[in-house]
Amino acid sequence: MLEHIFSVAFIFSIVRMSTPILFASMAAVVGAKADILCIGYEAMMLFAALGGVLASAYTQSLLIGMLVGVLSGLTIAGIFAYFVLYLDTTPLLAGLALNMFGTAGTVFIVFLLTGRKLDTSILASLTFPDIHIPLIENIPVIGPAISGHNALSYLGLFTVLFVYYLIYRTKLGLQIRAAGENPEAAEAAGIDVKKTKLIAMLISGVIASFGGMYLSMAQMPYFITNITAGRGFIGIAAQNLSGGNAFGTMIATIVFGISMAFGNLAQSFRLPSQFASVLPYLMTILGSVIVGAKRLRDEKKIKNIY
Amino acid sequence: MVKLPRQRNTEQIESRFTIIRTTTAILIALVIAFLLILVVSDQPITDFLTLLVGPLRNSSSMITVISKSVPLLFTAIAISLVYSAGQINIGAEGAFFAGGVAATAVAVIPGIPPVIHVILSILAGGIVGSIVMGIPGLLYTKFDSVTIVTSLMMNYVALHLGLYFILNPLRDPSAGFEGSYAFQPSAILSKLFNSRISTGLIIAIVVVFFAAFLINKTTFGYKMQAVGSNPRFANYSGINVEKTILSVSLLAGMIGGIGGSVEVLGNYNRFMYSGFTNHGWDGMMIAVLCRNNPKLIPLGTLFLAYIQTSADTLNLTSNIPPELIEMVQAIIIIFIAAKEFLKSWEHKAIVKNSQSRLVEEGVK
Repeated sequence: MLEHIFSVAFIFSIVRMSTPILFASMAAVVGAKADILCIGYEAMMLFAALGGVLASAYTQSLLIGMLVGVLSGLTIAGIFAYFVLYLDTTPLLAGLALNMFGTAGTVFIVFLLTGRKLDTSILASLTFPDIHIPLIENIPVIGPAISGHNALSYLGLFTVLFVYYLIYRTKLGLQIRAAGENPEAAEAAGIDVKKTKLIAMLISGVIASFGGMYLSMAQMPYFITNITAGRGFIGIAAQNLSGGNAFGTMIATIVFGISMAFGNLAQSFRLPSQFASVLPYLMTILGSVIVGAKRLRDEKKIKNIY
Repeated sequence: MVKLPRQRNTEQIESRFTIIRTTTAILIALVIAFLLILVVSDQPITDFLTLLVGPLRNSSSMITVISKSVPLLFTAIAISLVYSAGQINIGAEGAFFAGGVAATAVAVIPGIPPVIHVILSILAGGIVGSIVMGIPGLLYTKFDSVTIVTSLMMNYVALHLGLYFILNPLRDPSAGFEGSYAFQPSAILSKLFNSRISTGLIIAIVVVFFAAFLINKTTFGYKMQAVGSNPRFANYSGINVEKTILSVSLLAGMIGGIGGSVEVLGNYNRFMYSGFTNHGWDGMMIAVLCRNNPKLIPLGTLFLAYIQTSADTLNLTSNIPPELIEMVQAIIIIFIAAKEFLKSWEHKAIVKNSQSRLVEEGVK
């Protein structure tokens, strides 16, 4: 089993598993910084996954597919933000309702267009290309491991940098954090809190959309019913584990990716697949216990000082 | 003397608007449903009528509505209890599933006398359910972990471990599909009045009354709500917050687990689920729509069971996929949950009412 773990194929498997969760978790980081409890990333990812597939199948243009995919996810994010921010809807309920709408709505649309409910495999949709980085590709040992991944996997890494830069190095990021941490003070300082939160939610929707499109236009070549399978939630968990830090969140998603890839590997060694499937979820629980315990300890330390 | 319009107080206007909001939400959802049906169906009017009044047309469908509401009562009560204590614990889905598996494990054992067998099976389901929802509660009280995350993850853990037991030690190789061994006849819940409704309905009603009593009439219920509305204040006034949260989580899990047990033992002859049943999410929706009030929960449950039955009927009589109704359900939820929806209208009504009252006082 060891030679399977230390192989290029295993690294590729980790990247394939981590990428969608990475996008979902980065969306969650932006949402959490604006203090919006959004569980609707599943719905954004589902609609983006379907929108991208349909548009690319009908126009045969990857660019249009991508734009429509982003627009689909963005629409859901916009609806969520409008209900939560302007109609004072409980975020948990709005997210729950949208997820339900996303799961059912995508099946409904697939059925409408293809006459089948399971997937869109009869449509000739496009996929994002794999990228072979010249020069680096030729470096022995590490070259084949870091080159040749899907374009969206590399975009995922850029998204981490983008989110970090946005939150900590731009004026908008400062406004988002202020609106999230202390809305009254932010309002007093002249920030339009609702508008800021709306922008944060829309950015988060764009990021989540790429996670959805990775699933249906890279990991799989077509859309399958409920293709997200809880990845939006795992993304939220990853964000929670690291307390909202972009780089910490990325590490958490890689840990998830490793445990999922490991699960896939274990399955091929005839271990009961259910034990393998449980692994990432147990890791999350363990992680949130560690993070919580650390926070409690820090609070105690502060109490002892004063 | 000047005749003045009938006076209302603000609370009356508010409760009237709650009804108006709910009705409008349902109307909006129905209009959208009608438009969707127009797109898909070649007999839109017939199908739309089926959606509206389908379950009322025959007694068999009405029985289905009641039968469908039994499991939802359990999960809705379970969620409303933890929510009252301020815990966003969404583990009812896992508790329901794992409870069903545990009940199955006991129900397939031969040689246990009838009534005792049912009690033992349901008890096993309840205990396993309380573990599923209790762990997030325990982790919150001991390690301050985020309940919504841990409970969500517990759902998946419960699902996959449950499936392991169903597909390995409990699997009946002669069944021809992936299901457990058949339940012993002694473990199956009997039916009420020879209908399709199992005696689980009675258990569900008992649970609803129990929860209403617990929340409104006991010290524990008061403690629960105190913890839910302000944990710090509850702590200062001498309530053991951690113990209360843990007890509520265990109790809610037990109710969810019993729900799963009652559902499988009441309606099937072996365990056949291969994934989440959505009863937990549906229960959560009912709990939130009914504002965690156990007295309203039966109403919310019947409503949801009604539209789900409509969806099933529609699926049989037309080419409309049942997903349509889930979309409608989602639209209704989001509009009812929108507190500011139609609020300006309500404000105007309240202001107008207060003004006319002032005028009246001026007349006096």
